[in-house]
Amino acid sequence: MTDWIRLLIDIIFWPPLFQLVIAPGLVAALLVVIFIIWFERKTAARVQMRIGPYHISPRLGGFLQLFADLTRYAFQEIIIPTAVDKPIFIGAPLTALVLSLLPVVSMPYTSTPYYYPLPMDYSLLLTVALSTISPIFIVAAGWASNNKFAVIGSLRESFVITAYELLIVITALSGGVAALSYNLVDIVNAQTPFYKWMIFTNPIAALTMFAAILMATSGFPFEIPEAENEIVAGAFTEYSGLMYGINMGSAYIKRFVYSLLFTLVFLGGWLPYKPGIHLIDGYIIPLVVVLVKATIVMAIISFLRAVYGRFRIDQALDGAWRIFIPLALIGFGLALLEAYMGVYA
Amino acid sequence: MSELVEALKNKLGDLNPEVSEGKGFISVSVDSSKLREAAKRLLEMGFDHVKTVTAVDYMKEKQFEVIYHASSYLNTDLAKYIVELKTRIPRDNPEVDSLSDIWVSAEFLERETFEFFGINFRGHPDLRPILLLQEVADKHPLRKDFIVKEEGIFK
Amino acid sequence: MSTTTTIPKKLPGMDLKKIGKDLYEVFIGPQHPGSGHMRIIIRVDGDVIVEADPDLGYVHRTMEKLAEGREFIKIVPLMERMAILDACNITLPYVEAVEKLMDIEPPPRAKYLRVLLCEINRVASHLYGMGIFGVFLGHSTMYMWPFGDREVFVELAEKLTGARLTHTYAIPGGVRRDLPQGFKEDAEKAVRYMFKRLEEYRKIFLDNPVIQKRLIDVGIISKNLAAKLGIVGPNVRASGIKYDVRIIEPYEAYDELDFEVPVYEEGDAFARAWIRIIEIQQSLNIIRQVLEKMPEGDPMHEKFWAKAPPLYKKVFQETKRVKLIPLFANLKVPAGRAFARAEAGRGEVVYMVESQNAMKPYRVRVVSPSFRNAIVFKYIVPGHRIADLPAIYGSIDYFPPEADR
Repeated sequence: MTDWIRLLIDIIFWPPLFQLVIAPGLVAALLVVIFIIWFERKTAARVQMRIGPYHISPRLGGFLQLFADLTRYAFQEIIIPTAVDKPIFIGAPLTALVLSLLPVVSMPYTSTPYYYPLPMDYSLLLTVALSTISPIFIVAAGWASNNKFAVIGSLRESFVITAYELLIVITALSGGVAALSYNLVDIVNAQTPFYKWMIFTNPIAALTMFAAILMATSGFPFEIPEAENEIVAGAFTEYSGLMYGINMGSAYIKRFVYSLLFTLVFLGGWLPYKPGIHLIDGYIIPLVVVLVKATIVMAIISFLRAVYGRFRIDQALDGAWRIFIPLALIGFGLALLEAYMGVYA
Repeated sequence: MSELVEALKNKLGDLNPEVSEGKGFISVSVDSSKLREAAKRLLEMGFDHVKTVTAVDYMKEKQFEVIYHASSYLNTDLAKYIVELKTRIPRDNPEVDSLSDIWVSAEFLERETFEFFGINFRGHPDLRPILLLQEVADKHPLRKDFIVKEEGIFK
Repeated sequence: MSTTTTIPKKLPGMDLKKIGKDLYEVFIGPQHPGSGHMRIIIRVDGDVIVEADPDLGYVHRTMEKLAEGREFIKIVPLMERMAILDACNITLPYVEAVEKLMDIEPPPRAKYLRVLLCEINRVASHLYGMGIFGVFLGHSTMYMWPFGDREVFVELAEKLTGARLTHTYAIPGGVRRDLPQGFKEDAEKAVRYMFKRLEEYRKIFLDNPVIQKRLIDVGIISKNLAAKLGIVGPNVRASGIKYDVRIIEPYEAYDELDFEVPVYEEGDAFARAWIRIIEIQQSLNIIRQVLEKMPEGDPMHEKFWAKAPPLYKKVFQETKRVKLIPLFANLKVPAGRAFARAEAGRGEVVYMVESQNAMKPYRVRVVSPSFRNAIVFKYIVPGHRIADLPAIYGSIDYFPPEADR
């Protein structure tokens, strides 16, 4: 009997599967996204002299409202216009959702080798590479929609992609350069004393990556590809019901994935906790620490909604190429300097 | 106000205007052939924009009265006054020269008058309905022979 | 109108039209989160608009025609419908025009009460405009704050008139109700609150670097161009033209009040945003002054009481409330034509009223500020980017129901 349980636990907590499906993959991501949307609505409401979601569950502060919304999305009719390119119209958002979730498997959430999903030697490179796949499907979805606003939206998306991806690659790699390793486990472990978190030793790169995440996930003030008052919903204009929900969901999951990467590279991952070797102390607890940190990053991104308006596309691109790329390079130089001086040696 | 009336009489003297003081405006009535010339001279005097372009349907006299209310922004003395430049045109052939190249501000207002009265503004750059659909505009709703049937409360 | 519904053979915008090579035609509206009840047909070259054609009339009600079939007093509530937030301002010139035709002048207390409601309306109208402006730039806080604070002034208007939005307060001969008890304290509280809030608006919106980047040097209207296009209200004052009907041709009690009209030289969207904030401050000052200087007396011209039944006279003398029906049911206005203008929240509104000595007007012509501002879309928007369209739209405070009448 115990063997059965043992086997079941081993299957469930087999890292490649567990990370993709349960935590921080699909299930946990969904919960975090729901929490973040609730948090976003609640804080924005607080700033804006409103209450926000409330009446559906007054004791939980309206938290169940989000589940109600989710149910509504799930049961709404999916309208597929006749003029769209059907296979791509349906396929692209689903592919984007799955692909945007992939990088969670390539990231470690503990320093115990038994719980690595993949060999971790080049995990930073792999994560960055995987995270750059999904946007092309959003562009494809917009193009397949055969709608002027969708085309403009996907064009904007593609402009923004070219701007932010370089930033994310440079800034993420500057973490690897400083720690002299592309292994995310090494990068996290290098940040052992509190003050050695890379957000403190290399704030320029951290700031730039934060801005790039905002740009990548249409966070304010870079909410440009979906600017409601200009181009309705950007690439997702023609989508309805669950398909629209999937599009929105994959955008949030993308933000979640980037927050996880940001946490590992700049916020010291599971530190200050020291993982043990067993399931609970070696896998679950560090995972929760990482999730909490990533959620805080996401919450900060969400809060900016209440403070900023949105930039124009040319201003955002101008800022990305003229301000943030030089900043990222300075951050990279700083990382090289740290590597030379052996800060993380 | 009477000074401005004199000034208007001098400026527009050879166009035979009828200048008089109204309630809240100074009325200048000219022949429809001289409307453009009068508008040009008003612009020279400093009346740089129009506030309304409109028409009144006098069905009994079989005439439309086309009215431009002009005033000034840049000249603060003239801004106090409103000059009503008006002309009468026959009802069965409502045509009048467009003033929207003299006063750009008249462009949309002339389009509105065109659709509601069917008055053809000759030389207007873009004469088509602005508020109504073509089908409704063809009926010229503000003419007096267009009757609106409303449901009364006590009927 | 005929009872048979005619299906339009061709809707505007559905006709095929040849446009330039490499141009992309985008229809912004009428079902669009950034258009309001109108459509702007833009043709873009890449991201830059080369041509813009405003297509108005989606909420058109032909008020001018309806007015010809109504008694004089019924036109006031009709005309209010074009800008319900600005109800007193937008109907005041009509009332004045009718008064000019009847050759009566309202008592001084009525004038002050009208000014009071006009300024409350102006604040509410500007707040509404600021809110729409905020959401057009994606600034959701600036959307919620003014809309919440507008409630203060809507309630103030309710205390004064009994109605939140369509007050029908100014009527020929005076106003409908006298100042209620305790109004002064409520107004003072609202004014103080609003002054404090304006400072916060400045902090979160006007001093916000993102917003400044979006607004500065966008949609510039030069002084001469503004005069040429004949745009009105805060927009023309942001272009350096000191034109405000309250100063140029003071109506009601404005010549006895002390206030300034802000003028900016820049003429861009940022100046137009600032000017609204300053105008709200000035309006708040006016509200304070009006309440201090308010003269005693009847709120209604005595001429209208000559023929009223004794019961209504008694009600009026005791409560200072006007029953509309007995006074205005057979109001005959002498023949003639009158023209009147006033400064509404969004700009100058003008009325021409023509009467032929009857109970109904022969012709009522109204041009609302938004309709005169609509020309901006055609002449100012080209040359800007698509993302600038909401910024310009919001900055001129265009309000479709008001423009379409």
